[in-house]
Parts: sequence; structure tokens; C-alpha cells
Amino acid sequence: MKNRIKEFRAKYDLTQEDLARKVGVRRETIVFLEKGKYNPSLELASKVAKALKTTINDLFIF
Amino acid sequence: MKKDKIRLFLISLITITVLATAAIYSFIIVSEEEVTLGSLIPIIIPLIVIGFMFFFITRRYKDIKQGMPLEDERSRKVITLAAAKSFYVSLYWLLAISWFEGFFANKLFGLDKLDASQTVGGGIAGMALLFFAFWFYYDRKGKLI
Repeated sequence: MKNRIKEFRAKYDLTQEDLARKVGVRRETIVFLEKGKYNPSLELASKVAKALKTTINDLFIF
Repeated sequence: MKKDKIRLFLISLITITVLATAAIYSFIIVSEEEVTLGSLIPIIIPLIVIGFMFFFITRRYKDIKQGMPLEDERSRKVITLAAAKSFYVSLYWLLAISWFEGFFANKLFGLDKLDASQTVGGGIAGMALLFFAFWFYYDRKGKLI
């Protein structure tokens, strides 16, 4: 699933590790999420959106 | 985080116990019997498992030091998928062992026939290897389904 995680991460000057720590997942999960190679659960999508101060609809391109 | 550290410590403890048992067993085999490839199967299996666990533990230890969790929803999916696939493929491996038992015994191990522990050991070693291969593949592949 395409998304704007990288864009939002850059906006808040967060590394992939920072975001992983904030969300409570492993760094690889953030890498695959950004590449659009992993479809997260609704819970994880919500946590990532919250960490990047946005909404799921803005973050993920359906 | 503390829970993760305790879990990793327990996994390390089990790995060390398996390693110690394999070392004692190999000492007994070497000192009492004539060493054949067949008699080495019970040593090879724990070594495969230990190799995998060593790789797993060192990776996870680095992650915990960096403040990452021991596992998350993706890593749980990877393990579930690897376990399911390795079980499915290992059925064919077990069939192959039963069909080509003579070939494995004579050509590979130089024995008349495989005994029960060697056959079961070969099956377990195959499953462990398949699980490791699938885990390695899916952990790097990204798309899980």
C-alpha cells in the first residue's frame, strides 16, 4: 500500500529508528511499511498516524 | 522492555543447555563408538538449531540494546508464515525419507538401514532447516502474502 510515511517522517525530522521506537515496532517493519511492502494492521496504522501527527486517511493512499 | 530481556535470557539459557547436552553426547559417541555419519545425526541436529538460535539471539540482542522490541506484529506474522510453510514442505521431506530410506542409509551414511532415531532425527533436521530458510526468506521479502 502506497503511503506518505517518509514525507511525514522528514517533516518532523524523525529517523526510521525514532519512529519505530515511538510506535513500538522493529525498524524493519518501518522500512517495509515505507516501501509499501507491508500492509499494517489497523492498530499499527493508527499508531503510526498518531506518531506522525496525522490521520490514517492522510498517511495511506488507498 | 524488561520482559523482552527476560525472554531473550531464557532463550539463551535453553540454547546453552542444548549446546552442553550436544557436547556431552558427542564426547560419549567419540569415546565409545565408531564414528559414522549416521551416529553424528543427533549431534548435527542440535548444531543446526544452535546455529539458528545464535544468529537469532545476536540480532535480537542488538535490537534490544537500541530500544527496539523483541518482536512486533510483522515479525510474529513472519514466524507464523515460516512455521506453516516449513510444516507443509516437511511433509514432502518426510515422504522422501520414507521412500528413499535405502538411498539415504547406503549412499549417504554407509549403513544397512536407518534406525528410528536416525529417521526421526533426519526429519527434525529437515524441518529445522526448512523453518530457518523460510524465516530468512520472509523476513527479507517484505510482502508476506
